[in-house]
Amino acid sequence: MFLQTLVTGLSIGGIYSLMAVGYSLIFSILSFSNFAHGAVIMLGAYMGLALATQLHWGLGLVVSGSVVGAGLLSVFNERVAYSVLRRRRAPSLFLMISAMGCSVFLENMVYATIGSRFYAFPEFFKRKVVDVWGSSLSLLDLFAFTVSIGAIFALHLFITRTKTGIAIRAGVNDMTMCSLMGVNTDRLISIVFFLAGAFAGVAGVFLGIKYFVYPTMGWVTNKAYIAAVIGGLGSLPGALVGGLILGVLETLVSTYLSSVLRDVFSFTMLIALLIWLPNGLMGRDTEEKV
Amino acid sequence: MVDERRPRKELEKDLGKEPEKYLEVRGLHVHYGNIHALHGVDLVVGKGEIVCVVGVNGAGKSTLMWAIAGVLPITEGAVLLNGAPFVRGAASARPHEIVNLGISLVPERRRLFSALTVRENLIMGSIRRTDREGIAADLERCFSLYPVLRERIAQRAGTLSGGEQQMLAISRALMSRPSILLLDEPSLGLAPLVTDALFDTILKIREEGVTVLLVEQNALQALDIGDRGYVLRTGRIVESASSGELIENPMIREAYLGGS
Repeated sequence: MFLQTLVTGLSIGGIYSLMAVGYSLIFSILSFSNFAHGAVIMLGAYMGLALATQLHWGLGLVVSGSVVGAGLLSVFNERVAYSVLRRRRAPSLFLMISAMGCSVFLENMVYATIGSRFYAFPEFFKRKVVDVWGSSLSLLDLFAFTVSIGAIFALHLFITRTKTGIAIRAGVNDMTMCSLMGVNTDRLISIVFFLAGAFAGVAGVFLGIKYFVYPTMGWVTNKAYIAAVIGGLGSLPGALVGGLILGVLETLVSTYLSSVLRDVFSFTMLIALLIWLPNGLMGRDTEEKV
Repeated sequence: MVDERRPRKELEKDLGKEPEKYLEVRGLHVHYGNIHALHGVDLVVGKGEIVCVVGVNGAGKSTLMWAIAGVLPITEGAVLLNGAPFVRGAASARPHEIVNLGISLVPERRRLFSALTVRENLIMGSIRRTDREGIAADLERCFSLYPVLRERIAQRAGTLSGGEQQMLAISRALMSRPSILLLDEPSLGLAPLVTDALFDTILKIREEGVTVLLVEQNALQALDIGDRGYVLRTGRIVESASSGELIENPMIREAYLGGS
């Protein structure tokens, strides 16, 4: 039972981490909380759903399609809603308000065009389970956890080993100097938004498979935001650790205490953390954010 | 204070002759909101020269550098390279395009990527280049100029000493293989011995064919390695002459060089 709960928690935590990574990437480079991230996750899920139900694509292709689609949507969102404000050197509060507007717009656009119905993905895993030490572990949970960790590890390699990754970290450190090295910072920011959107695409498909696809499903990013803050907003390892901790603790609370207490627990944890560890678990070094 | 390596003596023979215009700042005005920071600055840098801009704190020296690098928007005037304007009102090139023209800025207080290692800072300097062999050769050039950087290669830039940070900042700029280096207050916060060594390397950099525009509060030392100099006061050029003339000018000595 405990192992089963742990794996379920880790799989939810993995999805929280994917979402938190997107938040953290954008926060670290533009210093604002992109509240439209939830809407990108939601639309990523709808894209995946369309590919799975209309084109009957397999899981791998559905995830890939959603990664590309949500990535491009995220870039488009930045170009339309944030880049103008950025060029006018608007304070980050303005960007945050613009992000909230985008979120409301995108959700209502889905209500107006697709409707408020709940959709389910086809059953990719047909409720398959694996027996480990007497516990039945869901294949979907194991798969979601593995892919989440794999994707974040790949992002870590990209950020530390490639020239573009180094440029992103340099931009986080000092965007003006990054442009004085010959980097087109508009393009760099687009790459960051694509990465955040791509992670939102994976998270959206997994959330959709695990639960349902509906216009307000992006609200779950509240949890990703908590995860990012637990880990230290702007820190990539922090987003991973924060997501996993939150996912596991939440699942343990809802299994052993009460599922009603789950969200109370999460938000209490956020408040406690903001009081005692305002920089999060891994956000002590404010210089290195990604 | 006379340094025999300087070609200044020869240049002084040509006094009165207009230098070959390589980088030219023409009637530059810059505003910060209501504050008029630069009032029609004109200056010329000839190819292969070291030209100094001296002036007290707040004279507008750094503003001039940021405007040439394309970071600060200008209100009037132009900056030209080989007669072609690249900073001119709304049609100005963007900072990354100006780097591509071969103009590289080492700003005041270094502005290193402090969370990145020395190696990563140098990679950032060469980020737009694709010639692997050329990059490797330039890296060696930086290490021969500043051997300590080789020892510190894996260290975070923020953990280096002030002098080492300045060496890294100059090396990072050189990695883009610039034809013009803009140096803003390189001696700021450095011990006199470190500053001497640093100014020696600026001469070496010029010997390799790089043109240098040097902005300094440490006027005497800057003019000592420079060919010509401009004096900037409250956003206006008030004097321009060969470095030797400026050093000898009693009024300038009194106001900017400590009087003696």
